Amino acid sequence: MARMKFLCDAERCIECNACVTACKNENEVPWGINRRRVVTLNDGEMGKERSISMACMHCTDAPCASVCPVECFYTTADAVVLHSKDLCIGCGYCFYACPFGAPQYPQLGNFGGRGKMDKCTFCAGGPEADNTPEEYASYGANRLAEGKLPLCAEMCSTKALLAGDGEIIAAIYKERVVTRGYGSGAWGWSTAYPDSQGV
Amino acid sequence: MATHKPATLIWCMGVTQHTVGTANVRALSILQLALGNIGVEGGGANIFRGHCNVQGATDLGLDVTSLPAYYGLSERAWRHWSRVWDVDYEWVRNRFGKPDMAMEDRQALMEAKGIPTTRWFDAVVADPADVDQPDRLRGMVVFGHGGNTVPRMPEMRAGLEALDLLVVADPHPTTFAVVSERKDGTYLLPIGTQFECSGSRTASNRSLQWGNQIVEPLFESKNDYEAMYLLSKRLGIAEQMFKHIQVDGDAPLAEDILREINRGTWSIGYTGQSPERLKQHMEQQGDFDMVSLRGKPGTTVEGEFYGLPWPCWGTPELKHPGTHVLYNTHEHVMKGGGTFRARFGVERDGETLLAEGSWSVGSEIEDGYPEFTYGILKTLGWDGDLTADELASIQAVGGADPDSVSWAIDLSGGIQRVAMAHGCVPYGNAKARAVAWNLPDPVPVHREPIFSPRPELVAEFPTTEDKRDFRVMNIGHTLQAKAVADKTVESFPLILTSGRLVEYEGGGEETRSNRWLAELQQEMFVEVNPADAARLGVRDGGMVWVFGPSEGKARVKALVTNRVGEGVAFMPFHFAGFWSGESQRAKYPEGADPIVLGDSANACTTYGYDPVTAMHEGKATLCRIEAA
Repeated sequence: MARMKFLCDAERCIECNACVTACKNENEVPWGINRRRVVTLNDGEMGKERSISMACMHCTDAPCASVCPVECFYTTADAVVLHSKDLCIGCGYCFYACPFGAPQYPQLGNFGGRGKMDKCTFCAGGPEADNTPEEYASYGANRLAEGKLPLCAEMCSTKALLAGDGEIIAAIYKERVVTRGYGSGAWGWSTAYPDSQGV
Repeated sequence: MATHKPATLIWCMGVTQHTVGTANVRALSILQLALGNIGVEGGGANIFRGHCNVQGATDLGLDVTSLPAYYGLSERAWRHWSRVWDVDYEWVRNRFGKPDMAMEDRQALMEAKGIPTTRWFDAVVADPADVDQPDRLRGMVVFGHGGNTVPRMPEMRAGLEALDLLVVADPHPTTFAVVSERKDGTYLLPIGTQFECSGSRTASNRSLQWGNQIVEPLFESKNDYEAMYLLSKRLGIAEQMFKHIQVDGDAPLAEDILREINRGTWSIGYTGQSPERLKQHMEQQGDFDMVSLRGKPGTTVEGEFYGLPWPCWGTPELKHPGTHVLYNTHEHVMKGGGTFRARFGVERDGETLLAEGSWSVGSEIEDGYPEFTYGILKTLGWDGDLTADELASIQAVGGADPDSVSWAIDLSGGIQRVAMAHGCVPYGNAKARAVAWNLPDPVPVHREPIFSPRPELVAEFPTTEDKRDFRVMNIGHTLQAKAVADKTVESFPLILTSGRLVEYEGGGEETRSNRWLAELQQEMFVEVNPADAARLGVRDGGMVWVFGPSEGKARVKALVTNRVGEGVAFMPFHFAGFWSGESQRAKYPEGADPIVLGDSANACTTYGYDPVTAMHEGKATLCRIEAA
């Protein structure tokens, strides 16, 4: 079975926000909720500006699932991390646990009530039956069930954002690195591996 | 650039929106010529368009100096199009001018350049004696054009208020609808988007795609075609205008509109792209190579370029493949090859302007040659290749002088067909020119902007002389001298430039009304360099006033960033709905207001027009910024 992964090639991301717009339109994500966002570092600094598109990374050992007190998270056969909004109590633990800022909450109430958590589903819907109105209302599109990949990556104009079977996107990425002939191009590489050739 | 070849050069409005816009474009084209990057795959001078079908609109006569397909406005051009439309030339001429005007005056008016979108308001507020037409501009119908994309908005506002009639035909009530204090005589016509009508659309690379209607026009909207038909009906010209276009109810048939375009646009080879061929390309997209854009071997579109980029010479039946790379002598003309056009005569100052030692693959004339006419075909002995029908058509067009009928006005396409059968390009084979003797600056030279940040350079590099052109006065030279004399730069020390954002498009009414895009850019801003911000006491995210050197001003958020250099400020031009810091939201019809409103960059931009195109100088002026 494929292990679904996202990979954003910071060398190619041009901060066009097409992925964000595609996600919002495909999944009818309300104003203020960002399942995906483009983070730009050193904005406007010549030669130092880097953008990377971030969403839920569908971790193998997901910290959100580890801390969830009601065990609303589950991992699909494609290794996509999903959750049940019927079980979610909006406690916000996953928000603190997630290293990527993926969990989003629709409201801010007087007593700290956040509402049901929402996050990127890898365009794979939720626990309801595939491609039903109920599933769409709570979780958005289920493109995976239709044999399609997440729309953010499909819409990416520079193909910076890759989504799909981890083996396949890793091969694409390796080919790019070899063709470029330097570093990895991955943002954060020089922090993780300070002795290797920089980006 | 001298060693990395081929290389392409791509530009947008940063090059064109200057008083030296034409000179800039020519300088870049000359650079590409000198580098050998023209006429080769991977080379080219490429101007990117900002919206679907901008190229198509331009090709079809958006420019006030030309009829469709760059034929110009001469009597010859009008007679050509009258033949294409199958209407009487005299009838067309009599649409111009006032009832009591003499025939010569009507003809002069019909052959005079129009008033460009950059200058219309000057023709509204001017004394009628200062406008080169029988009266000042009194009524305006705006189809799909934002009111905030052109500089000098304070003057534009005054122009709006002085109009007798204003019709805004657009999917959204644009800036035109709300920016002024107009109370009466304003009509908003809801017009569908491109998704609400079928038709051909032309991209920057000159290729055409057929777009199918996706949804019926929403609410009370009509599409462009229907609105045009109904308007022409009320004006009493529907019969002539739609003579060869099928109209179902009030809806003209999109396919017939393209067929009429095909019948007339010989000058640019917009003739071979019939609706049937375009639809075939859309249906068989998988049959084209993704890199070369050519139809794959063994398919029914083999050898054709996707979208039949013009020139796609001759009739659709001739099956020309389209021209992916212009001026490519490495290909046969029937495979998309070409030469430089013999556009400027055959000789100048005793020197030939025709090509020497260069021709496209397969040309039977292995030298330069002029553009083809029936007379030239006779000289070459190729006239016998014309069919009887083609010859009859040429004689009908030429009347007493059939020899003068050229490849560009021969409605049969016979001259093009025969020339290409002999491997020749219908428009001739000449040299490209770097010296354009018919332009104000035959060789591009530097000229300072009207509001120059370096006034000491103005004496040496002044803008072109004042001139009455495009029916109005261009007083750029006077204003430039005045700005120097007034020491304007001392009170407005920052350079102000403007441009686009990725989230919004044009005037922005449509995109600022889209909740996904509006969320990404919620506020109008000005980019200021950290050094300037520190000096001016401006904080990142703080509100500032931006004052233009004329009367305009805008209240916007400061974005302090090194993206702009010290001494430069940048504002995006997509915002409107605020005027001098005041919200105009209440003026929009209920529910039609865009989500995001903001002050307009062009409230601060200033005078300045390219002498050839009348393009405005939206990219270069001065400003002063103060913390608000």
